[in-house]
Amino acid sequence: MRLKRLFCTFILMGVGYLYGQNKQILYDFYEIPQSLMLNPGVKTSEKWHAGIPVLSGLSLQAGTSGVTVNDLFANDGIDFTTKVRERVLDAMTRRDDFSSTVQIELLNIGFRGRNRPDDYYSFGMYLENDVVVYWPKDLALLAFEGNGGNNIGRSFDLGDLSLRGEMASVFHFGINRKLSNVLTVGARAKLYSGVYQFQSIQNTGSFITTQGQNNIYVSSIVADMQLQTAGIEPVFDILDENESGEGKELTRLFSKRAFLGGNLGLGMDLGFSYNPDPQLTITGSMLDIGFMNNSKDVKNYTLRGNASTEGVTVFLPEDINNVDNDLWQELVDDIEESLPYEENESTYISLRPVKVYGSIRYDFGEGGESSFENCGCAVNKQGRRTEGFYRNSVGGQLFMIKRPREIQYALTGFYQRRFGRVLSLKGTYTIDKYSWTNVGLGLNLQAGSVNFYIMGDNLMSYRNIADSHYASLQFGINIISWNDN
Amino acid sequence: MKGFLGRLLLAFILVPLIFCSCTEEQDFNQFNDLQITPLVASSLIYLESDEATINAVGGLGNFYVQTINFDAFNEQFVSENLLEGTLFYEIDNTTSKQLAITIEFLDAANNVLDVESFDVQPNQPTTFMREVDYGPTGKNLNILRETSSIRVAASNLSDSTSISSDPEPKVILRTAAEFLFQLK
Repeated sequence: MRLKRLFCTFILMGVGYLYGQNKQILYDFYEIPQSLMLNPGVKTSEKWHAGIPVLSGLSLQAGTSGVTVNDLFANDGIDFTTKVRERVLDAMTRRDDFSSTVQIELLNIGFRGRNRPDDYYSFGMYLENDVVVYWPKDLALLAFEGNGGNNIGRSFDLGDLSLRGEMASVFHFGINRKLSNVLTVGARAKLYSGVYQFQSIQNTGSFITTQGQNNIYVSSIVADMQLQTAGIEPVFDILDENESGEGKELTRLFSKRAFLGGNLGLGMDLGFSYNPDPQLTITGSMLDIGFMNNSKDVKNYTLRGNASTEGVTVFLPEDINNVDNDLWQELVDDIEESLPYEENESTYISLRPVKVYGSIRYDFGEGGESSFENCGCAVNKQGRRTEGFYRNSVGGQLFMIKRPREIQYALTGFYQRRFGRVLSLKGTYTIDKYSWTNVGLGLNLQAGSVNFYIMGDNLMSYRNIADSHYASLQFGINIISWNDN
Repeated sequence: MKGFLGRLLLAFILVPLIFCSCTEEQDFNQFNDLQITPLVASSLIYLESDEATINAVGGLGNFYVQTINFDAFNEQFVSENLLEGTLFYEIDNTTSKQLAITIEFLDAANNVLDVESFDVQPNQPTTFMREVDYGPTGKNLNILRETSSIRVAASNLSDSTSISSDPEPKVILRTAAEFLFQLK
């Protein structure tokens, strides 16, 4: 039971190492091969690349738009229940969320077509865990305060329950094609192998207690709620069955599902880079346009109907001959019949969280050593000049992600500085619902054929990481070949 | 090999964090101090009788007696988490009868744990209200915890012929409860 609770906490709250959906530092950082994963149409110049397995793309991030760890757990001598009331119940709204994504790249390889040097192919596999839990404000208030006292007459919105999460391994293959000196496009096909999925979205309903028409109170509930799960129950079964061997069994179960033994899905990424002017680049991409078909280990829970009660009612003379002693139980049964809680195993489709990136970049500061000086591919040369000639870049980026309740936005301004082909730095400032003070910094180091990058987000929060709404760290190591060596 | 890879990964992850970040002192044991105490309200029993029914049964006798199995109070959850409770009673009487209403709280062996008695005056101009507290400032909370059934009895203390001038003479008993639970 304890392990089960731990598992749920890990999934729902994203405790552990988390990877943000918005990778604004990596986006259009075309010196890094992993930028292909954010825009399959990004400019590519390498001959081939190979990520170091597991270490090619790894990052950590935690995000909350509401309360921070420090808000609640700072050793400040304030009563904890008071803190929860003032900083969570009174402050957070149904739009606040806890969201996270873990992404670990297991394989990432790319190569330029021998016969079509304008094409750059890439393929690989990564594991992704994506969870978003909206703050169920009214349900939390109901649990904390109840329906009595000052809450008589208050309608609790059952639609406040909204959450979605899934873990899947993603096998992908992408083609990046330079159509002309001004336009590069790309597409990536994805095959998802689901480890687990759950979602409780589009719930509606309310619960209210008011002054009754006959009795003192009338309590009414209208509900159309559903929790869909796939792959969760066998995990709980393993955790329930034994305390000692669950680690091995879980690993076996997760491995099987991650390698095409679970629920399957299909998806694609699309992207482009457009240079209307040698110094101006406009890019855009749409990622994870896809779905999962959840048909294995499905367990769905529903609560649909409506009920209203003023307690046991006796009207005389109509009920004079009713000598039944079980009036209360009959009332409970009637409510359960009007508002049935049911389980089913129906297959369902879940949509992937679609993400959209867009950017505009202006390059300036002619005279830097070209990043692709030694590139044997001759792909991104424009006449006698090679791209990456400019030392500086400034620009703006837009990020959007479809969440169950809304489309979340993030706006980023950035400055990038290149020091020859060895070192490149990118600084970002991002505004989103999690933070208005998000300053990030990325470093890309090219030591011979070894490429190393490290990126930190929301650096100002590192002064007190527990008080941060959002923090991340990501890094990776690749081997890149720019020529035939 | 797996272990080495794991340690290597951990080192890559933790070392930069250790050097790059700091944090104020956190006390996660505070969670143990969290108190969740919702106040839950619900109606319980509603009894309504017209004057004709009271007259039909006759004078000086019960016109309604019913024992209702009521295990809601002694459910394990309620027994373990109930901090205090209040029962609300409201009575309207527009009949010409003086009435007596009793509500008895019975345990599983039908022993009477508590009784609430109401002497109801005829043609009552306003609603009679009573609140009964259980818990630290009221009656013993175990009365509620051990209640297994509730016996409601209403009797006519007047004759069986008088008729009220009210167009719809009735006696109405309303009951509700508010319970304070300790969820954590």
